Amino acid sequence: MSRKPDTQDGVVQRREFIKASAMAAAAAIAGGASFALPILADEPATGVDWQKAPCRFCGTGCHVQVGVQQGKVVAIAGDRNADVNKGLLCVKGYHVGAALYGKDRLTKPLLRDGDSYREISWQEAIRIIADRIQAAPERFAFYGSGQWTIPEGYAAQKFMKGGLSNNHIDPNARLCMASAVTGFLATYGVDEPAGCYDDLDACDVLIMWGNNPAEMHPVLFSRVIDRRSRGEKVTLIDIGTRRTRTTEACQHYLEMKGHGDLAIANGIAHLLIKNGTYDQKFVDSFCSFKAPDDANPNLHGKVISFAEYKTLLETYTPEHVEQLSGVPASQIRMLADLFGNRKLRITSLWCMGMNQHTRGTAINTMVHGIHLLSGHFGTPGNAPTSLTGQPSACGTVREVGTLSHALPGGLVVTDAENRTKAEEIWQVPPGRINSVPGHHTVKMWESFCTPTSEGGDIGTIWVQVTNPGQTLPNLNKLFNPKGDSKAGLEDKFLIVSDVYPTATTRLADLILPSAMWVEKNGMVGNSERRTQQWFKMVNPPGEARDDCWQTIAVAHELLTRGVEGMKDRNGQFLFEVKDADGGVVPIWEWEHYYDTNVDKHLFEEYRKFTRFKHKDLAPYGEYVKARGLRWPVVEHNGEWKETQFRFSEGSDPYVAAGKEIQFYHSSTHDDRAQIWFHPWIAPAEVPDAEFPLMLCTGRVLEHWHSGSMTRRIPELSRAMPRAYAELHPDDASSYGLKNGDRIRMESRRGSLEISVWIDGRGKPPKGTVFVPFFDETLLINDLTLDAVDPFSKQPDYKKAAVRISKVHA
Amino acid sequence: MIASLVVTLDCAVAGSSGVAKQIAQIPGVQLCEGESFSHRIPILIDSTDPDSLEETTRRLQSIVGVAFVDVVFVHFEDEPCDNVVAPIGKTTGQ
Ligand code: SF4
Repeated sequence: MSRKPDTQDGVVQRREFIKASAMAAAAAIAGGASFALPILADEPATGVDWQKAPCRFCGTGCHVQVGVQQGKVVAIAGDRNADVNKGLLCVKGYHVGAALYGKDRLTKPLLRDGDSYREISWQEAIRIIADRIQAAPERFAFYGSGQWTIPEGYAAQKFMKGGLSNNHIDPNARLCMASAVTGFLATYGVDEPAGCYDDLDACDVLIMWGNNPAEMHPVLFSRVIDRRSRGEKVTLIDIGTRRTRTTEACQHYLEMKGHGDLAIANGIAHLLIKNGTYDQKFVDSFCSFKAPDDANPNLHGKVISFAEYKTLLETYTPEHVEQLSGVPASQIRMLADLFGNRKLRITSLWCMGMNQHTRGTAINTMVHGIHLLSGHFGTPGNAPTSLTGQPSACGTVREVGTLSHALPGGLVVTDAENRTKAEEIWQVPPGRINSVPGHHTVKMWESFCTPTSEGGDIGTIWVQVTNPGQTLPNLNKLFNPKGDSKAGLEDKFLIVSDVYPTATTRLADLILPSAMWVEKNGMVGNSERRTQQWFKMVNPPGEARDDCWQTIAVAHELLTRGVEGMKDRNGQFLFEVKDADGGVVPIWEWEHYYDTNVDKHLFEEYRKFTRFKHKDLAPYGEYVKARGLRWPVVEHNGEWKETQFRFSEGSDPYVAAGKEIQFYHSSTHDDRAQIWFHPWIAPAEVPDAEFPLMLCTGRVLEHWHSGSMTRRIPELSRAMPRAYAELHPDDASSYGLKNGDRIRMESRRGSLEISVWIDGRGKPPKGTVFVPFFDETLLINDLTLDAVDPFSKQPDYKKAAVRISKVHA
Repeated sequence: MIASLVVTLDCAVAGSSGVAKQIAQIPGVQLCEGESFSHRIPILIDSTDPDSLEETTRRLQSIVGVAFVDVVFVHFEDEPCDNVVAPIGKTTGQ
């Protein structure tokens, strides 16, 4: 008997088995049955090893089962045991494994040599970085993201603030959720949502404020759609500046002008008070009122009385709100009636629409304020909840505090007691942590792109896990000068750790190849306070290495050169790890990095910080067992219990008995949350005769953020190959444009040529244009505005004035 | 590539066989046999053309009565990921 037929039979059988398993998984979910994953584990013939991990892409934080065979990821399944996604994935889940295997993965450290690069050793790369830092530590900056895992971000944070006494560390999350942070802080005195995804299963009304979850957080949206399909009554309301796939599923679409949300929120509050439908008992028991302090602008404003709040709202009649926002007065009344009905459970969701806003802090506080004023807070289905775009914007940026003013655990560098607490945990000498906040993102890059002789005080930036050359606003000011030989920036040095070449690496002086996702151990924190863990499953290609190792290796190189900051107060290395026998594990040597679990060591140290703001995390081992746990996680009768609803008695262990609701980090120190008034203010830039259209930028379903991973996946790239400009048909006809025509789009900051798409996936109203930012070959951020919110320092990518003209072939 | 999906139907058409029939007509799509589902239909895609996943998903989404499409399982064959987006050292987009 020949061997070949046997093999073919085996292949066929295996294929049939995979198909049967795939169908069984889908059938089980469709039928509501539960089964234990790994799906294929009981079939040894497949040789597939299954392990859990959170999805690499968005902040929803779906759990997947990753199938590995012969050192390669070969299959992905939604994790039925995960509360977040209950076995489902969005269509990006088709490709989350393939994102590892793009042909042009970076595999060697590369040093710029004129217009090209030469391969260098890791040793040389580490030495070059150490040289740059040692020569001018105060001119060094670290730029990361919400794609840093928790241990990676923690190591970078400790290296900078606990080692170099340098606070110039900031993440790209500054560009996407900083206003949500300041909104929570100004309202509750502490960051992050009180509610969780369970609210989506309980709400009667879901309001999406400038949010498109059908494409950006599809699994969450599908959870609500499933309820409706089962016959439950859920009213979906889309408040947006353009029709999207989300709009199609909504009963109500409220189309507003940019900054219309400020007026709408005030209009709802106005009517709640005028109609007497606000929740007086809730307000009297748990809330205070605030307004901006114009004489001394600060995040916590000034206290006002209810009567003053009412007076400030008086002009926001439905008719006036209609003028400001473009939303009909009848729809403002509809919203106010919904909020005025306490029998309804109302959840608000938002993401970039409210955060990328020069009044982002204000609108965040105002949406919290409506929920508080109407008592739609603290019970299942009643929650104001912001979503994040990155897998660990919450876990790494907000909780580890990789922001230029922050320390881990909600501490800040400007507070002496906070610094002492951090110095104690890090065991660094008192006074090591600098009390002056570092540069936030926009300032960091502006300084880097300003000649030293003109005050540009950042000389070296090390970028990890992000792509600022594509995602910063106003690139011609904040990034592109680095590539201009006449810009006077010869002394500036850009280091980029990444997995693929990007718009950022093209201007890098030193490129470092990084490991990604299941090529390394990791922990992340999703949008609902859920901390998740996974283990390394496959090796990274070539010489690609963990970002965390890169940081520790540079720290150790500085230590060997006698840089004092790399030692703690006992003279030991900042990142010293000992084995069970007390011997030091040389984790700065790649060959020994996985001799121990560095993530676990870093996490257990970081965990000590999490108790300061009652964001307690469980020991590492608990996360190994779970599909994530939502903090605060506290031990009760020997079990670690997560928290569904923060500040609510019976759910949050830190709420005292009998309190019902307790805002225990209140900025007024009286257990009360703040209901804010903010006036409507026009956007930073509005269309005029010269630039008559309003540009909004955003994302598309097929590509994740700047597309550096998803554009490597041929199927996704073919499905959405190029960015486009969405135009209203009337505008298109007035410019003589039809689908596919090329236009030149210009703002006061830059220009590009792009094709138009009329009546495409999204439908912008007349006078506006939408362009997605995923396409590296069409950098829309050459045109966007770098004006920032005064408190969060987050730029507005949603409102920039542009003009267009037809490009004739 | 082998993938399985769950198609969620609008409440109004849940349980009706019309939408299921339309889904079954999409090339490469198999419905789960012998079981009845109310508002969620499990399907299998078995295709050597990886682009068919996106295409099939789009077609599913465009069927009247289909409210949402989720992925449950995907098994990759040895498909090359040969997209090179930005060659190192070459300026793009400027
Ligand atoms: S919704 Fe987000 S986390 Fe979930 S599968 Fe899609 S991209 Fe991944």
